[in-house]
Amino acid sequence: MEFAESPEHELLRASVREVAAGFGHEYYVEKVRHGGTLDELWDALGDLGFFGVHLPEEHGGGGAGITELAIVCEEVAAQGCPLLLILVSAAICGELIGRFGTEEQKAQWLPGLARSEKMAFAITEPDAGSNSHRLSTTATRDGDVYRLRGTKTYISGVDEADRMLVVTRTGVDEATGHGLLSLFVVDTDAPGLTRTPIPTGIQSPETQFTLFFDDVEVPASHRLGDEDDGLRVVFYGLNPERITGAALSAGIGRYALDKASAYARERRVWDVPIGAHQGVAHPLAEAKIDLELSRLMIAKAAWAHDTDADRAVAGEAANMAKFAAADAGLACLDTAIQAHGGNGMASEYGLVDLWGLARLLRIAPVSREMILNYVAQRSLALPRSY
Amino acid sequence: MNVVVCVKQIPDPADPGALDPTTKTLKRDGKLILDESDSYGVEMALQLVTAAGGGEVTLVSMAPNGEVSGLRTALAMGAAKAILVSDDALAGSDALGTAKVLAKAIERVEGADLILTATESSDGYTGTVPEQVAGLLDLPSVTFAKHIEVDGSTVKVQRQTEAGYDDVECPLPAVVSVTAGVVEPRYPSFKGIMAAKSKPVDTLTVADLGLDASQVGWAGAGQEIVSIEEAPAREAGEVIEDDGTAFEKIVAYLDNLKVL
Ligand SMILES: Cc1cc2nc3c(=O)[nH]c(=O)nc-3n(C[C@H](O)[C@H](O)[C@H](O)COP(=O)(O)OP(=O)(O)OC[C@H]3O[C@@H](n4cnc5c(N)ncnc54)[C@H](O)[C@@H]3O)c2cc1C
Ligand SMILES: Cc1cc2nc3c(=O)[nH]c(=O)nc-3n(C[C@H](O)[C@H](O)[C@H](O)COP(=O)(O)OP(=O)(O)OC[C@H]3O[C@@H](n4cnc5c(N)ncnc54)[C@H](O)[C@@H]3O)c2cc1C
Repeated sequence: MEFAESPEHELLRASVREVAAGFGHEYYVEKVRHGGTLDELWDALGDLGFFGVHLPEEHGGGGAGITELAIVCEEVAAQGCPLLLILVSAAICGELIGRFGTEEQKAQWLPGLARSEKMAFAITEPDAGSNSHRLSTTATRDGDVYRLRGTKTYISGVDEADRMLVVTRTGVDEATGHGLLSLFVVDTDAPGLTRTPIPTGIQSPETQFTLFFDDVEVPASHRLGDEDDGLRVVFYGLNPERITGAALSAGIGRYALDKASAYARERRVWDVPIGAHQGVAHPLAEAKIDLELSRLMIAKAAWAHDTDADRAVAGEAANMAKFAAADAGLACLDTAIQAHGGNGMASEYGLVDLWGLARLLRIAPVSREMILNYVAQRSLALPRSY
Repeated sequence: MNVVVCVKQIPDPADPGALDPTTKTLKRDGKLILDESDSYGVEMALQLVTAAGGGEVTLVSMAPNGEVSGLRTALAMGAAKAILVSDDALAGSDALGTAKVLAKAIERVEGADLILTATESSDGYTGTVPEQVAGLLDLPSVTFAKHIEVDGSTVKVQRQTEAGYDDVECPLPAVVSVTAGVVEPRYPSFKGIMAAKSKPVDTLTVADLGLDASQVGWAGAGQEIVSIEEAPAREAGEVIEDDGTAFEKIVAYLDNLKVL
């Protein structure tokens, strides 16, 4: 068993860290405040190939894996600039096109994704969140095109992306009543597609939208994977999304603990720095333990996904990593806020503004409850209630 | 156009350094990183090679324990190969000892047109190695370059001065020291990082260079560190409350320091 990080991974961390540190949390907050996007940071990272580390080399990618993408995701977040769109654009869309795309599709979409283009991912619907079998957005074949009808909701970054990957229903499995799914790459400005932003309390620069598909025409050549085989395709993309989601949480956790420990070493209320009080130190130490445990599981999940040896191991580890990291990241942030006392609430200290995002990561991309269901059923063979 | 860049690998300045009380030198047992001062030379070298339309950048470093972390960073930025001199006999080398080693290593690089260094390192900062290397190699030396252009067999340098800069020309090959901050060092790209993995690092000993152990290290050092002392603790600052006349007090204070 080998836990030491390779020189390449160390260099990758260092390079991403330096680029992101050049922007920093203040840049991030400034964009949130003024409704901007993180284009400068995104481009700086994209130009160095960091969003395409896992994509095939023949299409402009780095030829590595989700292990490396998770490093990118974590390091940017650890500088106080968590990039939610890595999860959908690079992790899901990039990985799925690389794995299931035809040669033409890969040549068409991967070189952009390997640099700084973004692609949104649309699966959630008002009446089908955690339950993808119930998706009701339909795609109906009509000659050389499909026509999409339905509604998607909470779709991140549609305004920043030229294209998005949309999960639709193309049929029904007579035996189970479950939808048979197909995926399409859809232009975000396609005629018949309208969107309305959903105001949220999360202080992050990405916007979520409700999307209305009113007979949106999509060329059949934009279908990713076989017709009706979409569930398998989607499930393949969920592990990278969970792993990078976990890495995002872990990065936020590291950022928060760095701030908290620096503060607790300096701040004196009585005669010693507050970090000397066990009431302050122990919760930080405990958060650190949870954080490092979750990072181990992230590394295992990414390894399992990249080696592609056993999908069950990858699925279990990705879910556990997502669960553990989301909890740890939030605990780190919350403990860091507590250690800052009143300053924890001040914008100047750059903690409280990350709370919404850290909290979100316990709900999305997959909720804690659905992960507990997964572990109960898959790992412990317990019966299901739903 | 082949450029050699001397790069020093130093303890991470972010970690507080410590002096060894017996040897009176900086402790260098942890991981070393590329001296930021040298990242400007690496960047300039890469730009010069690109501008020349061909050639390559070779790194030369002397460091303990076979350290390559800093070299990897510079290789990931785009340098083609590296020579590392690492040998227990080098412990205690002074600046001249270091220069002897670097000069011998540079001689092994075939067709070197230009040798770049920083003006001074971030940890030792004697700022003497570049001129010593030039002296040992019997090459012209230009210091404090803020801009370098190569024109045939001549190098044109804008040499930073207190008043502005001097335009200096000299024949190649030459040793030029580069001022920190004059170019924006590139960040290693992912492709660069992966490519660095297979770039050659030639690790040499003192004997490989044809030097005698008595010429380097403690044995060869002409300089001796006689004593080291704790820097005086920073004294508490003076707090000036602004009652409308604070500026007068500040001006008086600065005047007293003779900085105005
Ligand atoms: C900021 C933000 C960004 C998002 N970005 C995207 C995006 O880019 N693309 C996209 O497709 N979606 C996106 N989503 C949607 C997100 O993935 C969903 O919100 C999430 O999957 C949960 O689905 P839901 O909201 O429909 O919750 P529901 O499915 O309605 O669940 C509600 C609650 O009930 C629990 N629950 C449901 N079923 C069970 C069960 N069987 N057992 C136990 N508990 C259960 C859930 O865990 C949850 O706590 C985003 C959401 C947000 C808030
Ligand atoms: C207080 C003090 C403590 C010291 N402690 C130690 C010690 O613990 N161990 C030890 O070995 N030496 C020690 N030295 C010696 C010192 O580090 C050497 O003289 C050093 O190798 C060169 O001096 P410099 O760093 O001042 O170089 P400078 O002349 O300031 O360097 C200018 C440029 O020359 C090049 N260069 C310099 N050194 C190297 C190198 N090694 N490899 C590649 N390029 C280089 C770089 O481009 C550098 O930016 C110490 C010196 C002082 C003054």
